[in-house]
Amino acid sequence: MRPAAAVALLAALAAAALLATHAWSAGAIAAVLFLVCLRAPRGRRRLYLLGTGISAAALFILTPFIETVGSHPIWTGPIVPVLGQLDVTHEELASAALNALRLAAVGLAFAAYALLLDHDRLLQSVRFARPAALATRLMPTLERDAAGFVEALRGRGIEVTGVRGRATLLSPLLASSLERGLNLAEAMEARGYGRPGRTSLPSQPWRLRDYAALAAAAAIVAVGALWL
Amino acid sequence: MALARVERLTFTYPDAVAPALREVTVGIENGEHVALLGASGSGKSTLVRALAGLVPHFHGGRFEGRVEVDGRDTRRVSPAELAGTVASVFQDPEEQIVLTRVASEVAFGLENIGTPPNEILPRVLEALVAVGAEHLADRPVAELSGGELQRVCLAAALALRPRLLLLDEPTSQLDPPTADAFLELVSGTGVATVIAEQRPRRVLRHADRVLFLEDGRLLVDAMPSEAEEWLAANRTEWLGLPDRDEDSERGESICRLSRVSFAYRAGLPVLDGIDLELCRGEVVALSGPNGSGKTTLAKVVAGLLAPDAGSVERRGRAAMLLQDPSRYCVCERVDEEVALGVGGDRALARASLALVGLSVFEDRHPRDLSSGERERLALASVLVVEPDVLVLDEPTRGVDPRRKVELAGLLRTSAHRRATLLVTHDEEFAAAVADRTIELGRVPALV
Repeated sequence: MRPAAAVALLAALAAAALLATHAWSAGAIAAVLFLVCLRAPRGRRRLYLLGTGISAAALFILTPFIETVGSHPIWTGPIVPVLGQLDVTHEELASAALNALRLAAVGLAFAAYALLLDHDRLLQSVRFARPAALATRLMPTLERDAAGFVEALRGRGIEVTGVRGRATLLSPLLASSLERGLNLAEAMEARGYGRPGRTSLPSQPWRLRDYAALAAAAAIVAVGALWL
Repeated sequence: MALARVERLTFTYPDAVAPALREVTVGIENGEHVALLGASGSGKSTLVRALAGLVPHFHGGRFEGRVEVDGRDTRRVSPAELAGTVASVFQDPEEQIVLTRVASEVAFGLENIGTPPNEILPRVLEALVAVGAEHLADRPVAELSGGELQRVCLAAALALRPRLLLLDEPTSQLDPPTADAFLELVSGTGVATVIAEQRPRRVLRHADRVLFLEDGRLLVDAMPSEAEEWLAANRTEWLGLPDRDEDSERGESICRLSRVSFAYRAGLPVLDGIDLELCRGEVVALSGPNGSGKTTLAKVVAGLLAPDAGSVERRGRAAMLLQDPSRYCVCERVDEEVALGVGGDRALARASLALVGLSVFEDRHPRDLSSGERERLALASVLVVEPDVLVLDEPTRGVDPRRKVELAGLLRTSAHRRATLLVTHDEEFAAAVADRTIELGRVPALV
């Protein structure tokens, strides 16, 4: 399948989850996207899945304390300045579950995009393709660099713990990114980047399944808006 | 007419006090294979960059003399315009990969030089087949090993069908059989090649001519046999390390691994039932092909990875030197960097810096050091903690023969203080330093 068609499908699933009004439908979409993400290697998918899971869980926990809806309390707590009376109602829990599952679905759609799609082919026809492709690599590269610094420090008997410990790595991370950027710029120039008359790999023709994916994407959004 | 001609080239980098190249004159003929030897900082990489036009276009600096490639003066044409005629592969493959998939990466240069679109894919596949990497075509580059990345970079260079191929230490991350195959492959292309190297034995076998640079001056420009004679008479360390005097006295057991297994992905064990014992006083070399699990085993020994199964018993402190020296650039000063492992004790840090010959750089920023100096800084940062188990992962990568002799001496003289595990592809270094060698990948179950 062409990456553009796959992006349309992922975007449609994320949109359907945002349009859904029932937790079970947002949950079903999130589950499908989770299974898609499992196709990525374990080491690479971990960070994305963890980030999505933590964000969704945080939203689920905080929503009942921030929202004030419903008349069926499950728990009533103290009065807190600014927030007022703390309570958790059935309606707030349902709303929290729906929002958390929507966020999970959007996060997982992005994870599938980042982990499984061929960004080079996706951005091939776009003018800013090269900087965009390099930007796509920035996060995994920073992640690898940070892990490398932590490992080298552990190899010298120094454990990096807590936010403060990790904050000390920001400066070396920035410096190594700048150094890598310079080296990469040099290598790109040596490989003819910036020369006039650039061509590109012919893009694959659109096939039936690509059109089918686009149609499915439109259908998913419509179903999300009307029935989910 | 020579394919490339360097005439009286003197080049000084911006802000540098001394020139990196001094009055260098050399010619390269079509199809000729030239081995470019020289210690760290001798000017090898600068000469390679001058032939690619990157010096002076990319780096700036003061350029005197003339460099012509394929009849074009490199001061008048940009490196991008020379691309295609010239192709370069630099030392660190990770820092020259632009795109996310292997096939796109190999196609990148072809697209830049305006190759007709219908020719790009066949040339990409042809180049990948030539380096034995056709199975990697659809793989994301983020999932490749260092050795695989080096092949991809070579494929990207070969796909351009250049007339001059410039390779800066291209085999530094390859195991010996793969490095031999790599050089055979390059020799077989018929393309004029300049290979900058610090491990001369292997490249001398494939070279038509040898250049030797020192402090920016070209000291030797000769046939391989004559160059070997000159090296034997004047720079003996380039032809081999001195033999080990005697075996170490084996002391008490410091680290014992029993039936250790480890997997990064379920069902694909990298280590499977490994037994290993390291005793105080001995130096043990760990060798084996790329991907055989050497670094993983080393990390288990150092305590950086916990095994999935089996046990690790360790007495005392372990420390490990990782492959990439830029991971040892966390602080703002060299002495601070070394002192980090000993609670900021600058006196101990200075002693460790003296041990590796970096005393004069103690107030410099670690990132201002050359790659060879960074290797030594990394070593000082690990040695300063006085570990009972010292694990070194490819400590001779990017290290010139003179420094290698010094490192071998340092490891041998301090061997009695600890157990040392040395992960290396450098067979010569292992023979000169290690009391025994373990071949991982051949006898994985019991070592």
